[in-house]
Amino acid sequence: MSDGFGRRDFLKVVGVGGTSAAAAGCSTDTVERLIPYVTPPEEITPGVATWYATTCGECGSGCGVRVRTREGRAVMIEGNPDHPVSKGGLCSRGVSALQGLYNPDRIATPMRAVNGSFEPVSWDEALELLADRLGTGGRSLFLTGPKGPTEGNFLNRFADRLGGRRVVYDALDDSALRRAAKIAFGVDALPRYQIGEADFLVSFGADFLETWLSPVHFAAEFASMHGVRDGHKGRFVFIGSRLSLTGQNADEWIPARPGSEAQVALAVAGELVRRGADAGPYTALVSNTDLESAAEAAGVEAEALSALADRFAAGNGLALGPGLAGHHAGATAANLAVLILNAVAGAVGRTIHLDATPDGEASSYGDMVQAVAEMDAGAYGVAVVSGANPVYSLPPASGFADAFGKVPFKVAFATAPDETTAIADLVLPDAHPLESWGDAMPAPGKYSVRQPVMRPIHLFDSRPMSDVLLETASRLGHDFGAVTFHEYLRAANRSWLAANGEAVGLAGDPNARWRELLRTGSVSYADTSPKVEALQPPETAVGFAAPSFQGDGDLTLVVYPSPRFGDGAHANRPWLLELPDPVSKIMWHSWAELNPTTAERLGLRSGDVVRIASGEGEVEVPAWVYPGVREDVVAVAMGGGHTVYAEFARTFADGGGVNPMTLLPADADAESAALALVSTRVSVTPTGEWRRLVSTEGSHDQDDRNVAPAMALSALGHAADAAAEDEHGHDGQRRELQEGGGFVPVPTEGRAEDFPLPGSDFGEYADDHPRWAMAIDLDKCTGCGVCVTACQAENNVPWVGEREAMNGREMHWLRLERYYETVDASHAGPLDVRLLPMLCQHCNNAPCEPVCPVFAAYHTPDGLNAQAYNRCVGTRYCANNCPYKVRVFNWYGYTSDIPEPMNWQFNPDVTVRDNGVMEKCTFCVQRIRDAGNRAAVEDREVRDGEVYTACQSVCPADAIVFGNIRDAGSRVAAAVDDERTYRVLDELINTQPAVHYLKKVTFHEVDEGGH
Amino acid sequence: MPTARTKRQWLTAGLGSVSLLGVALLVAWQAPNAQQPSEGSEGAAAEADVASQPIQFPHDTHAGQFQIDCQYCHFSAERSVDAGIPPVATCMGCHQVVPGRTNPAEVAKIREYHDSDTPIPWRRIYKVSDHVNFPHLRHVAADVACQTCHGQVQEMGVLETVAPEAGNLKMGWCVSCHLERGASRDCTVCHY
Repeated sequence: MSDGFGRRDFLKVVGVGGTSAAAAGCSTDTVERLIPYVTPPEEITPGVATWYATTCGECGSGCGVRVRTREGRAVMIEGNPDHPVSKGGLCSRGVSALQGLYNPDRIATPMRAVNGSFEPVSWDEALELLADRLGTGGRSLFLTGPKGPTEGNFLNRFADRLGGRRVVYDALDDSALRRAAKIAFGVDALPRYQIGEADFLVSFGADFLETWLSPVHFAAEFASMHGVRDGHKGRFVFIGSRLSLTGQNADEWIPARPGSEAQVALAVAGELVRRGADAGPYTALVSNTDLESAAEAAGVEAEALSALADRFAAGNGLALGPGLAGHHAGATAANLAVLILNAVAGAVGRTIHLDATPDGEASSYGDMVQAVAEMDAGAYGVAVVSGANPVYSLPPASGFADAFGKVPFKVAFATAPDETTAIADLVLPDAHPLESWGDAMPAPGKYSVRQPVMRPIHLFDSRPMSDVLLETASRLGHDFGAVTFHEYLRAANRSWLAANGEAVGLAGDPNARWRELLRTGSVSYADTSPKVEALQPPETAVGFAAPSFQGDGDLTLVVYPSPRFGDGAHANRPWLLELPDPVSKIMWHSWAELNPTTAERLGLRSGDVVRIASGEGEVEVPAWVYPGVREDVVAVAMGGGHTVYAEFARTFADGGGVNPMTLLPADADAESAALALVSTRVSVTPTGEWRRLVSTEGSHDQDDRNVAPAMALSALGHAADAAAEDEHGHDGQRRELQEGGGFVPVPTEGRAEDFPLPGSDFGEYADDHPRWAMAIDLDKCTGCGVCVTACQAENNVPWVGEREAMNGREMHWLRLERYYETVDASHAGPLDVRLLPMLCQHCNNAPCEPVCPVFAAYHTPDGLNAQAYNRCVGTRYCANNCPYKVRVFNWYGYTSDIPEPMNWQFNPDVTVRDNGVMEKCTFCVQRIRDAGNRAAVEDREVRDGEVYTACQSVCPADAIVFGNIRDAGSRVAAAVDDERTYRVLDELINTQPAVHYLKKVTFHEVDEGGH
Repeated sequence: MPTARTKRQWLTAGLGSVSLLGVALLVAWQAPNAQQPSEGSEGAAAEADVASQPIQFPHDTHAGQFQIDCQYCHFSAERSVDAGIPPVATCMGCHQVVPGRTNPAEVAKIREYHDSDTPIPWRRIYKVSDHVNFPHLRHVAADVACQTCHGQVQEMGVLETVAPEAGNLKMGWCVSCHLERGASRDCTVCHY
């Protein structure tokens, strides 16, 4: 080296150019202004974040969030660990609320339709018009999404006072489950599941980790039930025709035919009764079943069902579902059958609770059908829509758009234009949930409040709908005792406390209670609602026969809500559009999932565009060949194909998003009137065209690299034996490699006692620094992908768009790898899908560092593998030398393309990178430095848990732990002290990563490789 | 090893000429551009205003003559990355009753801003690049006097940066002080 061209020489030469350029480029006539407050808000200190606890408004689950604001702008959303339901977790849709808030396509002003186009009107004119029409325009209909208890109650009162009608509409309807609970237990409420308390879990197709009921809550519960602890873990069996994200987390898959849920559940219940369990009034019904015929109906082996019965018989089993996968013409029967199975298995009262008091807002497609008929018949003079987009999310066959069009005066409250606002007469810009008041009641005894975290964005002249309606009410001479919804909410809270405070232990000053509520975001109190446990006598009208499907195609169409877009309401958010789907890893466009056998029969490869035709319509969409769907099924996600929506959603549609609702007939379950999503057969024909799928999936096979190894449950506690046996396995290979020339082994396992590492004890590295490290428990990770979105939000990571993503230029600092080990739809059996969040491993012995000619990639004294952006000259050598492919390069100025005001979300603590710069995960170094600054000012050490990364702050499964591994008492040091700990590729290339993974634990035997 | 030396010479020469060419190009490209107001300026109307502050605030009177502590106005320096620009209400706290002996016309402007609920658009004097994080709180806690970076503000009638041509507020200047005081020289202390 002494004689060669050293890296420092290179630096000097490049440095000369750089300095001169800087001198030449220096311009002094740039004037920046410092704009101080006139009167400062008490809670704001410039440069210091202000946090607000509030309730996420992106779906009806009511998860608690903490919103970080800087100088009055929301910049980050994290889970609220104090929240009784979400427990610190969140989902991608929740994090992306920021892109709903700052969406450039938000409606900026009230608009009135005049001769087919919209004209802006003032709020005063709009309110005058609204009051006039609601007062004299005829009967009014209020079509809203599910709202919080107080707002829902207000809307009901408002509709009543005007002599109108309110219909609650949610495309992700749960009315079949409600109806089934009513039949089985006589309660008008959703069952509450305590997954965490069960030892054995079965999902009859319910996607409880992504879209069903309360996914974040369920993910936390699932992690505690399914994650291994003390050598035990719960088993999870997925029964269904398509492996969703939830399905991929199962230990066993019974690929049952769609529509067979009821038969399977009843047959297993019948088997349990034959073994001595009690089915109460349903004994006769379930005794009349047998496993063989159920297995035949489901298209699976009878042994699989008998094994299922064995496991239920072993005790403490819980069955979930069937959720939306079972929303066919027999949806109530399917739900009822699963509830009966739970009762027979003894889960009711233990892991399922049924409250005799009605809960929140029940949506019903039946009410919608009735409203459509009434609108069609001219029963309404005014229709008000809010928080819903039925023109898009209902099948066109439902006739909604036509009927709605017949209403003389249609009002739409919305944040962004969509298919429904497009045909309204008056469009009113609604405030975003982060700008308004509200509440949620996620479970009895758990109340969560929503407060505005910032003033409404001045670019959009929006007002919260409830405020507008209260103003309208006062113009019409109705008094609701409040001028704003904030007052209404306060009054409701005060009167509730006055009536119930004493009984639930919340007595005392209501103002102090309110302040406490705003500080913590939620309150838990004794749940006094009476519980029901006994099955009611059966309702004979419910038939359990398999539903028939319409159409004459040879494949059954399964339409499922997207984990990213739900019913499509979130399709205008670039973070979600570019978030690889947790199952397919595809972004920006739609796809149709086909089994490899089916694809072969049709002569298809992934990317071949197919025409899916039902009796109602057809769509063209690329096929994606997936072993996780049955041969007789084709599955398409909701959420694509918006025709009128904000810009990003239109890009999505133009780029190949399709709306599968256009294929569905307007079928409903006869008993509950729930919309049937699985109701038609379709034909799939190749169009002869091919498109490249925009996918981040490099390979679904680990190619013997064992990047994501697993351990059999039976092998736990025998790690030492395994290592000894492995002398001739991978360990032996490693030794052989190390004995070869040029390999310098660094003898460390990355534990506290290994530091300082040999060779890192000089100069700045000499002192007692922390060593930041991370532990990721792969037995808990569900692969939901919220960490990816949170990382983007925290670190100003841009999206690149469909074309750039197709070139492999996506910028995510964190990705989720997904490998199939055992996925077979042809028969029931063990399932093994490996999920691995991959981020910069912050190697002690990092291959990226020595190849950087300008020392931009280097090691910090506290063990971070740092990237100095202002040094980086973009050679990309580091990325080429990184074995983990975690470095990403700014090929273009992606960040400067981010439109106003979406760039208001940028985290002011993180540099916004421009083109030509390499970047990667920093372990959220801005948070480390911030905590370090605070600790230094207070003259103390950084406490364990004080620094947490963005990905960690939202993980619903609590799979990520971060901290100083040199502190033997830290959580991360404790977490890595486990026989399951391994580091990716470390034994092969000796990179000494700081990211420690804990192996997934399987029930079946696995080839453990060398780990 | 002669081969290595030849390689190095070739590289040095090559890269040297490339960077020289780059400098020439940059200068040529910068010249016409310099006539235009850059992004972030207030436009042509404000150009006359560029050199001066909206209010002629005398630091020498406040910090020098009356010995008002810097942090009385720059209120967040000890607890934040930002030192904080005083809200108009802070000025009014004193100037409600203090008419300003030396220049009452300037003091009257504060009242105008306050009464019309308008923030004072101060011209920014000190700025580090966007990729630099300068945590005021750490420096205050380490007893680094404000004057170390900002100069003898208490003697300045019109605030100006301290000898920028001498490299003050540039990275080398920061690093030399960090070296002197034994503070960290790690890149990610300031750059992330």
